[in-house]
Amino acid sequence: MNYIIHIVIIINIYIILTVSTNLLVGMANLLSLGQAAFYGIGAYLAVFALMILNLPLLPALILVMVGTALFSLLVAYPSLRLKGDYFILATLGFQLIVFTILYNWVAVTRGPYGIPGIPAPKLFGMLPITGLVPFLILSAILAGLTIFIFYKLIHSPFGRVMKGVRDDELAVMSLGRDVTKFKIWAFAISSAFIGIAGMLYATYVSYIDPTSFNLDEAIFILAAVLIGGTGNIKGPVVGAVFVVILPELLRFVGFPDSVAANLRQIVYGLTLIILMRYRPQGIAGEYKIG
Amino acid sequence: MHENILHIEDIKLAYVRNILNKRGEQQDERFYIIDDLDLMVPRGKITALIGGNGAGKTTLFNIISGFVHPESGKIIYHGNSKPAKIIGKKPYKITRLGIGRMFQDNHIFPEMSVLENMLIADSNDFGETPFISLFLNGRNEWAENKRKKEAEDIFIDLFGKDNPFWEKRHQPANLLSYGQQRLLGLARLFMGEYNLVLLDEPTAGVNPKIIRQAMEIIRRMVEEKGMTIFLIEHNMKVVLDVADFCSFMSHGKITAFGTPEDVIGNDKVRKTYLGI
Repeated sequence: MNYIIHIVIIINIYIILTVSTNLLVGMANLLSLGQAAFYGIGAYLAVFALMILNLPLLPALILVMVGTALFSLLVAYPSLRLKGDYFILATLGFQLIVFTILYNWVAVTRGPYGIPGIPAPKLFGMLPITGLVPFLILSAILAGLTIFIFYKLIHSPFGRVMKGVRDDELAVMSLGRDVTKFKIWAFAISSAFIGIAGMLYATYVSYIDPTSFNLDEAIFILAAVLIGGTGNIKGPVVGAVFVVILPELLRFVGFPDSVAANLRQIVYGLTLIILMRYRPQGIAGEYKIG
Repeated sequence: MHENILHIEDIKLAYVRNILNKRGEQQDERFYIIDDLDLMVPRGKITALIGGNGAGKTTLFNIISGFVHPESGKIIYHGNSKPAKIIGKKPYKITRLGIGRMFQDNHIFPEMSVLENMLIADSNDFGETPFISLFLNGRNEWAENKRKKEAEDIFIDLFGKDNPFWEKRHQPANLLSYGQQRLLGLARLFMGEYNLVLLDEPTAGVNPKIIRQAMEIIRRMVEEKGMTIFLIEHNMKVVLDVADFCSFMSHGKITAFGTPEDVIGNDKVRKTYLGI
């Protein structure tokens, strides 16, 4: 039972990651390879909020969201002038810079040694959320809230303009909308929620080190979004469930762990190739990338 | 209020090509796409812009709407408030001043429904910030319903309920024919609050029935909404039917301006552009 609860918690974390990334990829047509960097920034900011400032859950969450959103502006302002492949390269650069800083700034981040003993977040500063079931409830509430907020955003006038930006930037500009402003909104909102995922991860695992937020993780998040599909909420949720459950299923098939890990990469790669060929909108998405 | 809505003066724009001269040295060669262009666009009228391919008509539209910046010259826009300099402003800011644009290609949103294509064209952008979308649900819904009602009214008014167009209003816009997409582009401009509308070949490549519908919409833009129309057109029948004034552009300059009959009857225009 504990095993299933653990899997559901991880799925919830990935739902937050994929649903937020969908706003960039599926709504603003910004294929970002820097999502793991924001995930890491969120996790390290959570450590700062919980271990140094000793903040309760809600203020810590707000600090993490605002902090991650502000960091996202660092990459949004210069890189949004770039388009297509050049934008992807800029976000890749940001991802590598953040990872290098987390890895080498030992005095602050403890670098490769990581930060152990991250405390559980405390509700109202008194009730620590420890144990699997309370954490399952917390992660489910935060994942549900993320789905609700992004669903509302996608189906609002804001979402309509975002879809316009995705389909035809020139037309949106000629209708009097500031495309750059909308992309910055998308970047900041997406990053703020990715920060929540980072905080959940850090407090759930109670140990973080930079390798959890490297380029592999960035590609993994993007692959989850593309496999599930973009442009709606269903797609990223399906993507998150798929990428978390698949390696567990492979384990049940009876492959040894060392083989299952490599097989997982092959299956993700194959799935992406097959989907790009036969279903470019992903398993449950509505927007065809490319 | 100024009698001319747009005052274009000494606009120059060159395409620069790096070449090797006779002595084998590198040298910039300049081709003027727009060459000292002067033009006044009269308020509340339909002014056609005619000229051969490559004369610089669309480039001039791109300069007016802020997508291209000229090397020199000025454009003064006399909207409802004080005169505004256009050059150097971003395209969306120029639109917000009241200058609408229809492109030569159909820049519709293919995945959105026909009605959604109209809603996004509303000049009132209330509810388009994420915070209002999330927290002002009631007011947002009210604004959205008002917008929907207005879009439907415009649709019925322009095309009628028995038109096949009406049945397709909830379908993705990419299911419309090319001609219907052109009409949607015009209807979208009806949705906005514009003083000046730039139309780049609105009747190109469409059947005679749609040409008639397009001409009717253009006339109504002027008569009912008080818009000024600046229109690039190659169909001389359309120019003669709808335009109050006509300007002829050749090699980046306006070389003739007057009534459509005068300009189309001009010997140089007949010889170099119409080929008769």
